[in-house]
Amino acid sequence: MKSVNLTSCIFILVFLLVISSAVFPQEKQDSSSSKTPNITLNYLNTSNDTIILSASVSIKRELGVFALQNAEITFEASAGGNESKFLGKVKTDVEGNAVIKVVSKIGIPTDKERKTIFTAKFPGGARYLACFEKTSVRLAKILVSFAQEDTVRVIKISAFQVENGVPGKPLTKEKVTVYVPRLFTLLKIGETTLDENGKGQVEYPEKLVGDSLGNITIYAKIEENDIYGNVQGKSSITWGIPKQYFLAERPARQLWTPVAPIWMIVTLIIMLTGVWAHYLYAVFQLIMIKRHAQKLRNNPPL
Amino acid sequence: MEESNDKKKKSRREFLKKGFLAGAGVVAGGSLIAAYVDKSAPESGEKVKALTTNGEIIEVDKAHIKTPRVSIEESHKGIPGRKFVMVIDLAKCKNARKCVEACQKGHFLPKSQEFMKVYFLQDSDKSAPYWFPKPCYHCDNPLCVSVCPVGATYKRSDGIVLIDNERCIGCKFCMTGCPYSTRVFAWKHYPEYEKDGQPYSPEASSPGKEGTVSKCDFCPDLIRMGKLPYCAQNCPMGVIYFGDIDEDTVTNGSETLKFSELIRDRAGYRYLEMLGTRPSVYYLPPVDRQFPVNRGFEDLEESVKNRYKNTPYGKNHKL
Amino acid sequence: MEYQSTKEKLLQEVAPHLERTTWVARLWIFFLLAVIGIGVYAFIQQVTKGHIVTGMRDNVVWGIYIVNFIFFMGMSYAGAIISGALQLFRTEWRKPIIRMAEYLAIISLLIGPGYILLCIGRLDRLHYLVLFGRIQSPITWDVIAISTDIFGCLIFLYLSLLRDIATLRDYTALKVPAWKKKLYSILALGYTGAPEQEIRLKRATDIMAAMVIAIAIIVYSVLAWIFSVTLQPGWHSTIFGPYFVIAAVYSGTGVLVITMWVFRKAYHLDQYITRKHFVAMGVLMVILAALFGYFTFSDYLTKWYGSEKNDESLIRILFSEYYWPFIFSNYIGVLIPLLVIGIPRLRTINNITFSALVVIVALWFNRYLIVVPTLESPYLPIQDSRPEWLNYSATWVEYALLAAGIALFCLMFTIASKFVPVMNISEMSETPKPEEAVLFQSEESLL
Repeated sequence: MKSVNLTSCIFILVFLLVISSAVFPQEKQDSSSSKTPNITLNYLNTSNDTIILSASVSIKRELGVFALQNAEITFEASAGGNESKFLGKVKTDVEGNAVIKVVSKIGIPTDKERKTIFTAKFPGGARYLACFEKTSVRLAKILVSFAQEDTVRVIKISAFQVENGVPGKPLTKEKVTVYVPRLFTLLKIGETTLDENGKGQVEYPEKLVGDSLGNITIYAKIEENDIYGNVQGKSSITWGIPKQYFLAERPARQLWTPVAPIWMIVTLIIMLTGVWAHYLYAVFQLIMIKRHAQKLRNNPPL
Repeated sequence: MEESNDKKKKSRREFLKKGFLAGAGVVAGGSLIAAYVDKSAPESGEKVKALTTNGEIIEVDKAHIKTPRVSIEESHKGIPGRKFVMVIDLAKCKNARKCVEACQKGHFLPKSQEFMKVYFLQDSDKSAPYWFPKPCYHCDNPLCVSVCPVGATYKRSDGIVLIDNERCIGCKFCMTGCPYSTRVFAWKHYPEYEKDGQPYSPEASSPGKEGTVSKCDFCPDLIRMGKLPYCAQNCPMGVIYFGDIDEDTVTNGSETLKFSELIRDRAGYRYLEMLGTRPSVYYLPPVDRQFPVNRGFEDLEESVKNRYKNTPYGKNHKL
Repeated sequence: MEYQSTKEKLLQEVAPHLERTTWVARLWIFFLLAVIGIGVYAFIQQVTKGHIVTGMRDNVVWGIYIVNFIFFMGMSYAGAIISGALQLFRTEWRKPIIRMAEYLAIISLLIGPGYILLCIGRLDRLHYLVLFGRIQSPITWDVIAISTDIFGCLIFLYLSLLRDIATLRDYTALKVPAWKKKLYSILALGYTGAPEQEIRLKRATDIMAAMVIAIAIIVYSVLAWIFSVTLQPGWHSTIFGPYFVIAAVYSGTGVLVITMWVFRKAYHLDQYITRKHFVAMGVLMVILAALFGYFTFSDYLTKWYGSEKNDESLIRILFSEYYWPFIFSNYIGVLIPLLVIGIPRLRTINNITFSALVVIVALWFNRYLIVVPTLESPYLPIQDSRPEWLNYSATWVEYALLAAGIALFCLMFTIASKFVPVMNISEMSETPKPEEAVLFQSEESLL
């Protein structure tokens, strides 16, 4: 995953300082044979009672950075103690990514500050050493709704913490960015800072293309937040400009289309018939010459 | 477990052999094998190892593994409802050549064939030189398509101009028809072509074939997977933006912008507009550059550096 | 009867060439076959190793193969236009040389397209041109036009041969193998010169003479359009159609003069092909030289005067890297015939033949200068460190195939001359009718 969680980086650094020798005692000894892969963990709360955790494993060699594929990653959640809840095991794909969708209904453990530590662990193998990555977040939720006052269209956002599955305190003063999904990525259309009630709004820009029916999905995101990690909410509305799937102006008979312009076909036919008619006339004369010879042979002139 | 380079170091053939699915990430328990094994196809006799979701290794007939690549017939149609556009920001290019390398790797090209070329241009004696990456322009009035005698090159509904190298007779008329010297010819069989191992598709422009023409294809095979073309994906400077012009959005992977605003604010233009070819590639002029132009000569292979020796700048600065 | 006796005399004259092959001729044929053999070897190299064995690369994608293609096609159209025009205008001096022009038309028409095939990367897919042909492509126009032209020229040649074949069939003294006699008898279609047959033959010949002229102009313009429809500087020119037609007839006239000279020497035809014929062809060559010079001048003048960026760089290349070929093809190639034929004292058979040789070589270089320098100066400057990518230079494979083409041309001419005389004996036996005004009485009256 591209965006490395800043929190988790700091967390890991601190963690390493505290218990450095305990976790990676091997690191110095065998740089020759085994290597410690690099693992990153990305957390995304979809506000839809699901959390997407994605881990990415790579290894640095002289030739460059290689993705570690088919590596079994274990995802866990814990409240900070020794106890941790097993979430699932996923093998990394060809690009070294392992993704898991966690349904938050299963009961995610939280500590006193309502924080959860998510962990992605790689157990190590014949050639690679074990490694892990953690991220600590507080569960939150964003809701997106729409309102129209006269001609002004507004996207309304509200965000709040989630405590034991129910809405809790509103998120205040957090930056929320609003996007629309596009072919490859999300296009930013505005941003707002939440007020003390955890609410904010963004004006809906004109001329946004939706699907063929004009449906458009709006995403609101809190990104790489120190407390909440990545949280996103989304909602759809038919405010988009319907996308033209078959544009009328795409021409049918052009120089470059499979079918030729009519004038070309007509010209070609006229020219070819003209020429070949003359050829046939000449050949016809030859046939008549031969016929005449046969006639002469049958009835020789006196 | 195997290592594979981030940038697809391992060839796709090896990948397939070692178990296409063994490596494929299983998203939340979802299965991929069903999508790729097609039992209805006649057997080829050649067995390929594959891994099921349970982790069992099974042997599958090669003919039964459906390639994610699109057939030649399908490749004529284009991705519905899309019209692709590329924007190249000349202010950011420092001739790192990552676009060229990634493209060659992705399309299994030999070093002597470049779909993406980086030119060092200087419009007049006193004007400043700049780096100029040049893919295929996928023109809306493509002369190369017009002159093809057998319909081996065609323009699709999504604006992409492709070449079917199963149809191409190698007359090279398209190469003289293109005013941008975009097309390359396979003057011989290159061993790189064999590294692919997947069935041919015009959308992948691979494997290449001796005696036929090929060129930049805007990577529709990657687009179908929701990925940017190799060049856009791999540019360290984010020079190359790509997107759907009907959505009015382009992205270089890390930055997503409104196409119309980008072109308006940065005075975007198309190269040699007066030729009337109506390219799908726009350039942003090299203003407020992020790098001095000679940065582009650093860390270049000697043979690449020598290309620019005969330019006016190259002569003055004794490259 | 005068007609019969002339015919008899002519037949006696030409019969030995049809009856036997001298050892010199055998050696000549063996030599040609050897050259063709080298060409075949070169072709095998190209097929097995790929086009990498040629000097062509991504910028100069068409090399001397295309130059040869234009060149041979040009000779063919010249043959067609000259024979067609001389036939239509009943020019008296056509009679001994019209057969050569017809042979020239068909033989070079059979060789020329071979060169475009050498340019094609995948010969195994040649039939795609018919299966998947697109009308928008000038190559499709060319395929249609050339095949139409081949049929037209064959019919025209056959019409012209018919009377001679009938004569040979009836010439019992001719000592040729039985199969050859049988062939003459089949091909003669029972032509006896009966009035009805004669009228029909004349009608068909006149129609076809007009057709081959028209088709030659169209086909050669189509060939020119392959270049001028592209946007390449140096090619994208409206003048290219007529320019190519004129250049074609010009070079073909030169080839015809050489052919006349060779057959005159080889078959001792001094009596029939005289200075009169050489001067007549020379005059034609002067007219064409002037036209060719005029077209060349207009083309380069407008490019140079306007000096659009890419035209300017093209002209710069022509006057630097290609200085001598340029001067030779566009100055000397025009001036030599003008001087040699313009000054009556210089008008000897050998001088005219020499200037014809100059014209041929100059025109070959003219086509080279049209094809190669343009491809070496595209809109985007060529930036490459590989010398063969920067500048085109033909390899031995290409030269071997050029030589093989010329050898094949000579071989086919030799074989054709062994089958039917190189002079139209039937026409030569006829005395001109009064209404067929003699266009050309003496060279002095014309100039």
